Order: sequence, then structure tokens, then C-alpha cells
Amino acid sequence: MRLIPLCLAILLPATAFAQTAADTAQSAVTQHILPRYEALAKAGATLAKTAQAESSPETPALTAAYDDAFDAWIAASHLRFGPSEAQDRAFALAFWPDTRGITPRALAALINDADPVVRDPGAFAGVSIAARGFYALEFLLYDPEILAMGDADYRCDLVRAVTADIAELSADILAGWQGDFAAKVLSTGQGGPYRSDEEAVQELFNALTYGLEFTSDTRLGRPLGTFDKPRPKRAEAWRAGRSLRNITLSLTSLDDLSGILAQRDPELTARLQDAFQIAIADAESLDDPILEGVADPLKRLRVESLQQSIDHVREIVRDELGPELGVAPGFNAMDGD
Amino acid sequence: MASRRGFLAGLLATGLAPAATWADAGAPRWLSAAGLPDGGFALCGIGEDMGLRFSIPLPGRGHAAAAHPERPEAVAFARRPGTFAVVIDCADGRQTAQLAAPAGRHFYGHGAFSLDGRWLYTTENDFEAARGVIGIWDAQHGYKRTGEFASGGTGPHEIRRMPGSEVLVVANGGIETHPASGRSKLNIAVMRPNLSYIEDGVVVETAALPPAMHKGSIRHIAVSHSGEVAFGMQWQGDADGPVLVGLHQRGGAVRLCTAPDAQLRAMQGYIGSITFAAGQREVAVTSPRGGLVQMFDTASASYLRSDAMADACGVASCAGGLIVTSGTGDLVRLGRDVAQVAHPGLMWDNHLVAL
Repeated sequence: MRLIPLCLAILLPATAFAQTAADTAQSAVTQHILPRYEALAKAGATLAKTAQAESSPETPALTAAYDDAFDAWIAASHLRFGPSEAQDRAFALAFWPDTRGITPRALAALINDADPVVRDPGAFAGVSIAARGFYALEFLLYDPEILAMGDADYRCDLVRAVTADIAELSADILAGWQGDFAAKVLSTGQGGPYRSDEEAVQELFNALTYGLEFTSDTRLGRPLGTFDKPRPKRAEAWRAGRSLRNITLSLTSLDDLSGILAQRDPELTARLQDAFQIAIADAESLDDPILEGVADPLKRLRVESLQQSIDHVREIVRDELGPELGVAPGFNAMDGD
Repeated sequence: MASRRGFLAGLLATGLAPAATWADAGAPRWLSAAGLPDGGFALCGIGEDMGLRFSIPLPGRGHAAAAHPERPEAVAFARRPGTFAVVIDCADGRQTAQLAAPAGRHFYGHGAFSLDGRWLYTTENDFEAARGVIGIWDAQHGYKRTGEFASGGTGPHEIRRMPGSEVLVVANGGIETHPASGRSKLNIAVMRPNLSYIEDGVVVETAALPPAMHKGSIRHIAVSHSGEVAFGMQWQGDADGPVLVGLHQRGGAVRLCTAPDAQLRAMQGYIGSITFAAGQREVAVTSPRGGLVQMFDTASASYLRSDAMADACGVASCAGGLIVTSGTGDLVRLGRDVAQVAHPGLMWDNHLVAL
């Protein structure tokens, strides 16, 4: 009788190690991707409903619903493949960075012309992606210049149109995943988007890599600029006071995905988790919600330190998780030129 | 390029060539940057036998090089967003000068010489303005920076000179980047790549892709003797893209080169290098991601065949076939005289430049 527990003890780790690429993809889809897009669709619908009732920018219920939906988007914002990319849905939800200031110009054009497109939900999906989504809504809720523009009723209609569009885009992405894309990731082969389970895992690994790169290089790198030329006004969603919040939320979500991808190797899982916890703790202790500190030499150091903590995670992902998953690219394959 | 060498050798034989020429360099036939086992980088001269002729240390990762049309001299460029370029005397494998991109600019890794070799043109990023520029350097006076002009788009990458003329053709990849954000792509949703033809610093013709193809970053180009431009794309949208190779002749429309779905997808949306081959009847493209070299027929703009080669990237035509480099250190000759030479420890980088 004593032999049985012993056998189990020997067998269990072997079973755990035998987890296949298909198992990894299965966990990622069911535990990470679907819950995030479900949350986004739900929060998007609530946002649209709230705006129907109260579309004035000062309404706390509206800004709260905006924050909830934006939170849900950030948690999914690294998952850039499949239904999110069809019809440029993710870009329509999140047109940022906007290096040429297209969003405020596109919104100003709509408001100044009192463009009737806002009263036609079908047609609004055809306006410039720069005038749609969470970053356009940020201007409509928080930017003093936009708030002083045109007619208040028109701006209310515009808020309703943007929120309804966010709800629809979010619902469409979820429908795409639930419809057949999740099944395609889980049953790979000829005719589907992934020819093998390894290719599906490669896509998930790319999502983790992309998310880390975006948070470090873009969410932090753009406001950091250079020491001589910091760019605090390039921080993400600073008007809504969300710059640091978005960083923390994205790291938390990426931590979750990396845990799933690394689960075959408990030691690597622990190392990644530690590195993520350091980065998240750095972010949480920053006390600089819109990263204004990048322009202050002393405070800047702490923002740079957060970036270094994220880059440490990136190194572990590149040098250890990639090879562990068998997706380490060649010298030229990873070059990107 | 063999024809130029032949021509120059002929000149030398008649005693008309006054100074050192490519014929004197003799040994190296190609240049390629490489990564080294210790994490360093080098520029290497490669002989006809695919053996190493020289290796010069580089201050950072290299990308491509431009060969001077007359002197045995070449300029190797830093990979973006690098700011160095080195001038190499290819006769003795020695660095003779180093260029630095001006403040507010970085190189994209490619350059081209004017017809007479007097000027060097480099693709650069004016990153605060998010504007592609072509830098002008005086090759006769120590590669002094003398000016710049607009590249006709965002993210200019490879630049070539049209045969027998001073017209330049630039692949404007369309992607905006900023050194503060590393290599992150900042404008994929609104990117608009193009091919720009530039004469005397002015864009005289632009070839663009159909709107549905706006995420096809035109990155690498080759020019045939008759002035046809072949281009390789890197797909920035989801999945592997609808088409990755195209052809353009000035005054005409872009011809997209189709491939069967399985062959298209095998390239994983990424062309690393491109060259004309088989007497200009074919175009060869490499995909390090797909580990493939693919050939297309220029007359019909259609797929011909594939050869598998891990991490294949640099490619140049040679008599009877192609030479392809790999990040694994291999040099492979495809076509009539198939051969393979391994260079253990070297990771050949991106482009094989014919001298």
C-alpha cells in the first residue's frame, strides 16, 4: 500500500512535464484570453448603456464606466491576433500612440461640422479609427479644448456614438473568439490560421513579447524621451490620469499569461513571477499617476528603474521562456529588418 | 556586378584606369556584416570560393553596405537605429573612415552611391519630425555630410540607384519609429509604404500599394539592368499577408507577385532580402522566419520554387545561381554548382552585398 503514494510522487512531475503545446494553448485560451475578452465585452456594454443615460463628461457614473472598460481593454491589449485584428477592431478601440495628433483633429472636424454620422450607428463604424475608441473618448471626457468646442448636445451624441462603437467592437471580438477562432487555436492544422500547436504557442509567446515591449518601449519610453528632452505629455492617457494605471494593469495581465506559458517549468515560472512582482511593485510604489516625474531628474530615476525591471522580465522571456517553448528565433528571423 | 568588374578589368588591361580599382581588390566578391560568438559584430569580405577574406570589427550590429562604383571601397551601415557607418578599403580589408549620423538622425542600414561615385546617399530617420530623409555625403572629401532631402515617405529602408542614371529609388517602409521607443512601431494603423523615385533631391514618381495592402511594409528592393524594381515586403497586419513580393517599372503600375497559399504562408509574412537572378528573368527572396529562399518569375509575376535553408537572409546572384547567407554561419551556393561553406561562430547578418 505504501508503494502507491511513492509511485504517484514519481509519476506526477513526469505527467506535468509531458504537458504539450496543445495543453499550453488550451490553458491560454480558456484561462487567459476568453475571460479577458468576456470582461471587455461586458464593460463595453455597460459603458455604452451608461452613456445612453448620462453622456455629460462630468457624470461620475460615466467616467467610472469609462475606467472599467478601459481597464478591461488594457488587460487584453497584448492579444493582437485573430478577431481583434479583423477589420482593424483593436486599432479602432485603441488608436495610440497618436504621434501626429490625428485624434483631436478628427474629433474637432466632427464637432465643428456637427457631422450627422454620430446619429447613425452603422455609419459611425466608418469614421476614421483615430476618432473612435478609448483614446478618442478620453479627449471627449477630459480635454479642455475639445470640451469647449461646438455644441454640448452634439458632443453628447458623439460620446454616445463612440461608446456604442466600443461596445460593438468589443462584442465583435468576443464573438469572433467564441465563434470559431478559439477552436482554430486549439485544433491546428491545414486550412486554419496555425499549421501546428507549436505555431499557436508561438503566437501566444509573441503576444507576451509584444505586450512587454509595448509597455516598456512605448508606454514608458515615449514619455521618458531622453534625459535632456523628456516628454511627459507623451504619456498614455494622461488626460484621464491613467498612464501608470495602464502600466500596472498590463504587467498584471502579462504576468498571468507568462505563468501559463511557463507552466511546464516550475523553476522558470517562479523566476518569471519574481521578476514580474518586482516590476509591478516598482509601478505601484511610483506615486506618479501620469508620469510627470520623467521631467524631474530625481523622480525620473524611479521611472527608469521601473523600465529596467520590465526589461529584466523581457530578458528572461527571450533567453529562457523562448527556448523552453522551442520558439527561439534565429539571428535574422528575430531581426525585424 | 560581375559585368562591372569585367568592364573595369578590361579598362585596366588597356591601361586606361588610372588608380586602384575593384579589379585590384581581387579577393573579396561580397561583403556581409556578421554577429560574433562573443557578442561583438564585424564586417566581412567573402571571396569567390565563399571563404573569408577579411573581418573588420564594427562598433555595433551592422546591416548592409554600399560598394563604390569605381574605387575598391565600400561603406557599411549600422542596423537601425544605429548612427555609425564605416568606410572600408576592400583591397586590404581596412577601415579608412567612420561616419556618424547628424544629431536627430539615425541610419536605417542602407545606402547607395551616385553614378560617378562622388556622392553617398543614406536612408535616415528624422525622428522628431517622423520624416524619412536621404543624407548626402561627399565621398571625394572624406565623406563630409553636405545635406539631405526628403525620402518621400516614412521609414525609408533600402535605397538603390537606377541603372545608368542618377535617379534613386527608395523603399519607404511606412513604419514610424522613435529611438526613445526602441524598435516599437508607432503607426501601423495608418502606415503608408511606397516606392519613391528621386532625381536631384525631388520625388519624381511614387508607386504605392492598393489601400488594402497598406500594412505591407516595402523594405527591400533590387533593380534590374532594364530598370525594373523588385521589392520585398514585411507584413505588419495579422497572419502572413496577401502577397510579399512585387515588381514596378517606372510609369507603370505595381505588379504583385502571387504565390500559392501554402508557399505564401511558409514565408511567415517576412522578406529579408531580394535580388534579381537568372539573367534578370527571376527574382529571389529570402525569409529567415520561414527558413526559405523563394524564386519568382518576373514575366508572369508568379511563384516558381522554394529552397529550404535555416535562418536564410542575405542573397546575391552569381554566375549560374545564387549565394545565400544564414544566421547559422552557412554560405550556400544554389543553382548550377551547389556548394556549402560553414563559417562556425559567424552569424551572417541580413544582406550579402556584391562588390
